Amino acid sequence: MEQFLYYLKVSLKSIRRAPLPYSLTVLILSLGLGVFFANATFYYRLNADPLPHKSDKLFFPFTMMVPYECQNCEPPNVLSYSNVQKLGATDIPTAKAAMYSADGYLRLTPQQPPLPVKIRLTQPDFFRMFEVPFLHGSVWPDASARAEVILSRQTAEKLFGDANVVGRSLTLDDHQYTVSAVLADWTMLPRLFDANNNNHLSEVEDIYLPLETGYDRNYLSNSQSSSFEDADYRKLPTDGRTKAIHQLQYWVQLDSAEQQQAYRQFMANLTADEKKAGRHPSPENNKLVAMRDIVAHFKQQGGDIEAFALVTLLFLLVCLFNASHLSLNRYISNQYEISLRRALGASRWHIQQQALADVLLMAGITAVAALLIGYCGVSLMNYLLPANRLFSSWDWSLLGGLLLLTLCCSYLVTLYPSLRASYGALNQQLKE
Amino acid sequence: MISPKLILKSMLRRKVVTSLLLVQLALTLALLSNSSLLALQTWDQLRQPTNLDLDNILYVSLKPTSKNLQEYPAFADLLERQLAAVRQVPAVQAVSFTNQSPLMTGGSNGNVNDENDRERSNTQNVPQYTVSPEFLQVLQLDVLEGEIPQQIQAWDGAAVVPVVLTKSLAERVFPGKSAIGQLTNSGPVAAVIEDFYGQRNAERVMYNRLQIAQIYGVAWGYGLILRVTPGQAEQVRSQLPDVLKAVDANIEIFSVRTMDEQLHRMFRNEFGLATLLAVLSGLMLLVSMISSYSNAHFNALKRQQEIGIKRALGASKQGILLEMLTENWLTTGAGAVLGLTAAVGLNQLLALVISIPALPVWLPLTALLMLMCCVTLATWYPATIATRVSPATATKTL
Repeated sequence: MEQFLYYLKVSLKSIRRAPLPYSLTVLILSLGLGVFFANATFYYRLNADPLPHKSDKLFFPFTMMVPYECQNCEPPNVLSYSNVQKLGATDIPTAKAAMYSADGYLRLTPQQPPLPVKIRLTQPDFFRMFEVPFLHGSVWPDASARAEVILSRQTAEKLFGDANVVGRSLTLDDHQYTVSAVLADWTMLPRLFDANNNNHLSEVEDIYLPLETGYDRNYLSNSQSSSFEDADYRKLPTDGRTKAIHQLQYWVQLDSAEQQQAYRQFMANLTADEKKAGRHPSPENNKLVAMRDIVAHFKQQGGDIEAFALVTLLFLLVCLFNASHLSLNRYISNQYEISLRRALGASRWHIQQQALADVLLMAGITAVAALLIGYCGVSLMNYLLPANRLFSSWDWSLLGGLLLLTLCCSYLVTLYPSLRASYGALNQQLKE
Repeated sequence: MISPKLILKSMLRRKVVTSLLLVQLALTLALLSNSSLLALQTWDQLRQPTNLDLDNILYVSLKPTSKNLQEYPAFADLLERQLAAVRQVPAVQAVSFTNQSPLMTGGSNGNVNDENDRERSNTQNVPQYTVSPEFLQVLQLDVLEGEIPQQIQAWDGAAVVPVVLTKSLAERVFPGKSAIGQLTNSGPVAAVIEDFYGQRNAERVMYNRLQIAQIYGVAWGYGLILRVTPGQAEQVRSQLPDVLKAVDANIEIFSVRTMDEQLHRMFRNEFGLATLLAVLSGLMLLVSMISSYSNAHFNALKRQQEIGIKRALGASKQGILLEMLTENWLTTGAGAVLGLTAAVGLNQLLALVISIPALPVWLPLTALLMLMCCVTLATWYPATIATRVSPATATKTL
C-alpha cells in the first residue's frame, strides 16, 4: 500500500510538471466517454427487457382475418373485438387479456375541476400477465362489464389525498364508479404491452377500467382505430363488437413450447375455418410475436438513438486514438526519466506498476469529468428528443459499467506508451 | 525550399503517432460530413413548400371535459358559441372548426379512389378533414374547379357528403379529366382546391380530402383554426384560452400553435438529431484542434536542434513555419483520403437506421476545408514558437 501511495505521489508530481498535456488527455477522454455514456443511457434503457423471465412467454397473435382482399399485406396492428373473441375461444393459454387505451376526465364531485387521465381498458389477466402489484383491494373477479375502476397509487393520492380508497366512489366522464383496488407503485419501461405508434415510450396509465365497460360506454382508442367496413365509430356497444373496427391489443401467455405450438395450430385452424366460411378473402398470414420482439415487429426501434449510438461510438474511438496519441507524446517526453529509473535498477514490473498508478489516477479524474459531461448530454438529449425522456435515468449497473469502461479506456490509453517506455533500448533512450 | 520527401520521412519516423492521427482525422471527416448532411436535410424539410401562411394561422387543439358536451346536439351548440366568440376577437379574420390540423405526421386518414376504377386509382393514407366552409378562407386556398358546399352536413347515415380534393390528389385519382361530379368511395367530388401540406406520412404530403360536415366524433379532441391579421398572432394567442373558457369552462385546451410551430414540431426528431450531430461535430473539431496543437507542440520541442541547425544554415522563420504547417496539412490530407471512404461507409451504416440521403461529393470536400482551417489555426501557435528557436541555443549541445 505504501509503495502504491508512492507511485501515486510520483504520478501527481509528473502531472504538476506538465499539467497542460495531461489535462488535454483527460479532457478528450472525458468528452468521448461522457458523450458515449449519455447516449448509452438511452440505448440501454430503451432496449431493456422489463420482464426478462417472461418476455418469451407472452405473445401477441396477429391475423389477417379482415373483410378485404390483399395478397401480400401484413396483418393489422390492432384487432377487432370479434377477432379477439375468436382468438380467445381456447384454453391453451395460461392467461389472456385484450386491451386498449383511452382518455378521460376524473372528478370526485361534479363541482371539482376535471383531472385528465389516461385509461387502460382491459381484462383481469392483464394484471397477472404483466405482474402488476396491488397495494389495496383486488382485481375484478371476471371480464364482465362493471362500474368498478382500479387506480394507480398516484391517481388515488391526487384525487382522494389517500391511497387506501377501496370502496370509495368517483366520477369518470360523467359516470359513477367504485374503486375496487389501488395499485402499488408500478412502472414498466419500455411499456411493451402497447408498442404500436411508439406507445412503449409512454408511462403506464392512471386508471384501469373493464374492457366490456369501455365498449358499453363508447370509449374509442386514443392510439389507433381502423375500420375495414362500413361501421360507425360512435357505436362501439354495437358496431364495435360486431363489425371490423380494429383497436385492440391482445396478449396470451404460453409458458411452454408445446403450448406455443398448440396455439399456432389453433390460429391456423381458426383462419382456415373463417376463410372456408367466406368471412375473410385474404390469404392466411398469422403471426405469433413474443413480447421481446414486439418493438421490432412494429418497426418502432428508435432510429435516432441508434444513429446517435453509432456516431457516439465512433466519437469515443476518435477520442481514444487522440488520447493515446497525447499520452504517447507525454510518455516520450518523460522517456529520459523512465530510462534513468530503469538504469538505476527499477525493473519493468516496477515501471508497469507506476503506469498502473497513472491509469487509476487518470480513471478517477476522467470518471468524474465524464459523469458531468454525461449529465449535460442527457439533459440536452431530453430537451432535443423529449419522446425519450422517461429513459434517461441512471442506475448502479449503468454507473458501474461507466466506471469499468473508463478504467479500460484509461488502461488502453496508457498501455502502449508505458510498454514502449519499459521495453525501449536503454542506451539509446538515455542518449536522447 | 520545403522537401515533401523529408517531411514524409519525418512522419514515417513517428509511425504510431502518425497512424493514430490519421485514423482520428478520417473518422472526424466522416462524422463531420454526415452530420452536416443530416442538418442540411432537416433544413430542407423545414423549408419545403407548404402553401400555408405559417405565421398568421393559429390552431387551437381542445376537447370538452364532460361526456355530455362531447355528444351532439350539445357539442354542435358549444362549437357554434365558440366560433362566434372567436370571431369577436380583434385581429381574427376567419375561423373554422376542423377535426385535425394540417402539418401533422399522421392523424385521421383513409383511402380515396375513383369508384369506377378502384384498383388503379386507390390512394391510401389520405388525410381526411371535416371542416366548415371558412376553412378555405383561413388557409387562403383558391377553388380551382367546382364549388365549395356552403351547408354543413350532419353524419346521419343516409346523406351523401360531397368531397373536396386538393389538386394533386384529384389529378392522381382522376387523371386527364375533370374530377367535378366524379364519384369517389366517400362521395361525389364537389370542388378541387389548391394543394396544401397535410400529413407527413401520407403517400404525398399535398394529397388531402375535405368534407364540409360536422365533426364526426371528439374522442380525440378537435380544433379551431383561425387566420389573424399579420403580426397579431401572439396577441390573439394570449387571448384565446380566456375567450374559449368564457364560452364554457368544461373544456381542456391542449395547445395553441402557429402553423410554423406545427411544422417545427413535425420535424422535431430530425431537428433534435441534427442538433446533436452538430454539437458532436463541434466537439470533434475541438478534439482535432487539440490533437493538432499537441502534435505540433511536441514536434517543435523534439526537433528544437534540427530546427536550430536549419536556421543556422540559413532557413528563414517563414520557411520553418511553412514546413511545420505543411506537415500538418499533409497529415490532414492523408487522413482525408481515408476519411472519404469512412464518410461513405458511415453514410451507408446510418441509412440502415434512419432516413438519410447519399453523400454528395462537395460535402466531404467542404468538411475537409473546414478541418484544414481548424488544423491550421491549431498548428499556428506552436509552429510560430518553433520559428523563434535561436540557432545558437539549439546547437549548443552538439
